[in-house]
Amino acid sequence: MTTSSAAVDRGAGPVTTGERGTSSRRTASTSTIDSKRQWWGWLFVAPFTVVFLLFLIIPLGYAFWMSLHNKGLATGGESVFVGLDNYVRAFTDPVFLEGLLRVAKFVVVMVPIQIGLALLCALVLDTLATRLSKASRLLIFVPYAVPAVIGALMWGFLYSPRFGPATDVFGLFGMTAPNFLSSSMIFASLVNIVTWQWVGYYMIIIYAALRTIDPSIYEAARIDGANGLQTAVRIKVPMVSSSMVMVVVFSLIGTLQFFTEPTVLRSVAQGAIPPDYTPNMYAYSLAFSYSQFNYASTIAFALGIFVFIGSYIFLYLTRKQSGLK
Amino acid sequence: MTTDTSTSPAPTQRERRPGRGAKGGRRIGSHAFLVLMALYFVVPLWFLVVGSTKTNSGLFVGSGGALWFNDDFSLVDNIRGLFEHQGGIYWIWLRNSFIYALAGGIGATVLAILAGYGLAKYHFKGRTAYFTVLLGSVMVPLTALTIPTFVLLSDIGLINTMWAVILPSLLSPIGVYLVRVYSQEAIPSEMLDAGRVDGAGEVRLFVQVALPLLRPAIVTVLLLTTVFSWNNFFLPLAVLRDTDLLPVTVGLNQWQALSNAGAGGEQVWNLIVTGAFVSIIPLIAAFLGLQKYWQGGLSLGSIK
Amino acid sequence: MRISQRRGAQVAVAALAAGALLTACSSDGSGEGGDGSTEAAGGDATCTNEIVNPDATQVSVWAWYPAFESVVDHFNETHDDVQVCWTNAGQGADEYNKFSTTIEAGSGAPDVIMLESEILPTYTILNSLADLSEFGAGELESQFTTGAWSDVVSGDSVYAVPVDGGPMGMLYRADIFEEYGVEPPTTWDEFAQAGQDLRDAGYEGYITNYPTNGNALNYALFAQNGWTPFAYDPANPQEIGIEVATPEAEQVLSYWKGLIDEGLVSTDDAFTSDYNTSLVDGTYAVYLAAAWGPGYLQGLSDADSEAEWKAAPLPQWDTNDPTQVNWGGSTFAVTEQASDKQAAYTVASELFGNMDAWELGIDEAALFPQWNEALESDFFVNKEYEFFGGQQINKDVFLEAANGYEGFSFSPFQVYAYDQQTQALFDMVESGGDAATTLQTIQDALVSYAQQQGFTVK
Repeated sequence: MTTSSAAVDRGAGPVTTGERGTSSRRTASTSTIDSKRQWWGWLFVAPFTVVFLLFLIIPLGYAFWMSLHNKGLATGGESVFVGLDNYVRAFTDPVFLEGLLRVAKFVVVMVPIQIGLALLCALVLDTLATRLSKASRLLIFVPYAVPAVIGALMWGFLYSPRFGPATDVFGLFGMTAPNFLSSSMIFASLVNIVTWQWVGYYMIIIYAALRTIDPSIYEAARIDGANGLQTAVRIKVPMVSSSMVMVVVFSLIGTLQFFTEPTVLRSVAQGAIPPDYTPNMYAYSLAFSYSQFNYASTIAFALGIFVFIGSYIFLYLTRKQSGLK
Repeated sequence: MTTDTSTSPAPTQRERRPGRGAKGGRRIGSHAFLVLMALYFVVPLWFLVVGSTKTNSGLFVGSGGALWFNDDFSLVDNIRGLFEHQGGIYWIWLRNSFIYALAGGIGATVLAILAGYGLAKYHFKGRTAYFTVLLGSVMVPLTALTIPTFVLLSDIGLINTMWAVILPSLLSPIGVYLVRVYSQEAIPSEMLDAGRVDGAGEVRLFVQVALPLLRPAIVTVLLLTTVFSWNNFFLPLAVLRDTDLLPVTVGLNQWQALSNAGAGGEQVWNLIVTGAFVSIIPLIAAFLGLQKYWQGGLSLGSIK
Repeated sequence: MRISQRRGAQVAVAALAAGALLTACSSDGSGEGGDGSTEAAGGDATCTNEIVNPDATQVSVWAWYPAFESVVDHFNETHDDVQVCWTNAGQGADEYNKFSTTIEAGSGAPDVIMLESEILPTYTILNSLADLSEFGAGELESQFTTGAWSDVVSGDSVYAVPVDGGPMGMLYRADIFEEYGVEPPTTWDEFAQAGQDLRDAGYEGYITNYPTNGNALNYALFAQNGWTPFAYDPANPQEIGIEVATPEAEQVLSYWKGLIDEGLVSTDDAFTSDYNTSLVDGTYAVYLAAAWGPGYLQGLSDADSEAEWKAAPLPQWDTNDPTQVNWGGSTFAVTEQASDKQAAYTVASELFGNMDAWELGIDEAALFPQWNEALESDFFVNKEYEFFGGQQINKDVFLEAANGYEGFSFSPFQVYAYDQQTQALFDMVESGGDAATTLQTIQDALVSYAQQQGFTVK
């Protein structure tokens, strides 16, 4: 918490007291102007703050409050204060722990695949300026316009062992298509859907950043004898690291929310995708299907806090790359 | 300072880049790679195009297979079906999706711009703590909070109204974060101070100095939040009951549930596929038509 | 209780909402600029149907029957004092999820809700369904089939009014059986043999499909062999008996496992487009179906013009003691949140309480009535089904099945029980476990779940 104050209040000096003001251009009178101006700061953030409180902080608080109570099905709906019992249960609940592990696995697999592919496409596009490359750039981006529900519905069709094209495609090479909806393949099938949906967007972000690099840098590199690959790895990638951080953030957000795709795909693979496949889905089933709102809140809150801390640490550690000084 | 990096270098400079035209073989290789990638990203959509021309049973037992047309061509029938099935409710869903996407997208963007700018340029009390909380919440999955959000919305009597979908989608911590980071670099404090010396008010500074400089951030956040609202599934699923209020995503999913339902289900797979196809056309058209606006805007990330 | 429990949160929320309004007004207002033109639909439910008599008491109804609109219109036109305001809140799980949420939130539930009979205990234990005996529902007993009635009552309490049911039969492809010279089976032994014979004669499909997600279907197949997994009485909600892993169930599951291992029976998930197509394109020679099954098939009936369907009774374990089972079936319940329960009861009991409504239900929605007057009507008994080449399937098969059904006791956590079953059966099929272990896995999961929820497990 406190460490970030240095990061955020760069240069401008403390504004509330003014006594330790280091900025030479500030005079004694500016502190009163500043304190008036403070209100402007609050005014600017106020509308967002309302929404933030209403739809993030209060729900989180309410989830926490609910997680401290319990209501057994058989005990007549009487709500009892149980302290941290629900948390003890959650962290010894194999279903929840498995779900966490699964999300961790998705993070480890899905995020690098998406970003690697996006980076590769962006780098290749950056070296070309043909009509074909422009067209490909748009085509790669198009799936971003497809809502996740529709994407998952569509892939559900394509994965179908009977109607999907996989049988024909694999048949061309004399192979039998795997069953994409079996429990051994479902992980890869889900990774594929998400990758398909998001890589184009990430690619565009990285590509846009690549286009802003001054080409004279490449010239210098070429004179030094660097080939295309070396230029890409040593110069281009480091120079777009801020975009890369953004892309990692986007893809982490997507992965941690992982809900829509497995939920929709579940309608064609109920055995392979149990209702508690990810912690989000588990919380959803617990609440809406099993009427265990207290325990569901516990899962939701535990997950929320995990991510909250992780998110802060990640963004704090990458503050240099992302420009957050 | 790198505030100016959003302008692309002139194409003539790029002509001299290494790798361009260096070796024919590598260019062919690069092109082949791109074509392969483009195929991967487009073929599934091709399925929707082809599927929308098939009858309900033709989708499953047609002569064309999954990726080619059948002998009969029923696109017109299917589109007519979208107008007729359940009284043409599909078009109401599509309209709702637009309302949700625009209201959520524009609203969230406005809030994010104001807050991001405020956080970047005003050293108000509590800013550090505020920003810390914001950083933490950037990745918190909002789906996890649907249950308490539901209870809250029902307490203020908004369940089963359009507001129940729109208001929560105004929340975009990532948008605030992006604008905050961008403002810091793109809007020199000196410029604001100079404006203040000239007697400009804070609102005028924001509108006349900050907003023009923030254009790439606005484009980025607008795209992000609009697509997020357009994609929204979980929230409307939980807070809406009236079929008339559903966005197209939830509506199509409901048709799918009905098509898969055991008792008394109605199989309308042709309408689901055609509906899915029709629903993605506007956004794709918008992307293609407005590419020069958003592609330039997305260079936001290049600020370091 | 729920109300006091949520008081604190409500106060906080109200305070914040007030704050939100103030802030929204005092800020420069552009925050809401984008959606100013949006017209919210208002807090009250809007009806899908037209209200004929706007001055009458309105009763909100959630239901997902196809062709239900005409049934609702018929009700509204024939009632001056009560009007139905109907919403389709989603099918099955979608609707139940919404209902559960409104129960937790304490508001937002409809007055009358369509619930499958298997899910009733799940809601009676949450005290969310009104006891209709106060309104004289007990007198309806004689109007309904025994099995359907026993599914909605507990002691003297009546928790719902039965609507339709799913007595089971065997739908089969007469053309396939004929082509390969195999007789349609009447017992499960014959069924297994027929599967083998079809295969030996060169039929490339499967005699039928055993879906691991077949929830109520699998329950029915077990139940046919005398399986009663739950002993639960809403009058005594703290106690439950759980006996999933019984010799009867093991016999049934081993039987199917054997057919699966020999490759005679497929294991596709039910209710997917793959499954639907396989049902109609000759991949499965038999569809073990409920009475609503034919309606389901018709949706894709043009998939195979050669198909010639017939209906026959469900194969039996013991022909000397034939047992009839039920798969699915729905009811109308009145919720505890209903403001005018008397009016709601009128709607629940009268929506399908006349032949006009039933003719619509039978013809357009392929429902199988549990209301005796419709069930015994000429219209229904002698109805010829074009899909079955004019066969009178009700007279031939389903009426007998409906009369033989005696009811079934479900658990108050049925969704959980189904989910566990799906998982265990899927694991068995995929990784080759045996029937006994699979059933024991389900048993253990349910017992520990019940204990955790505070039940005394007998």
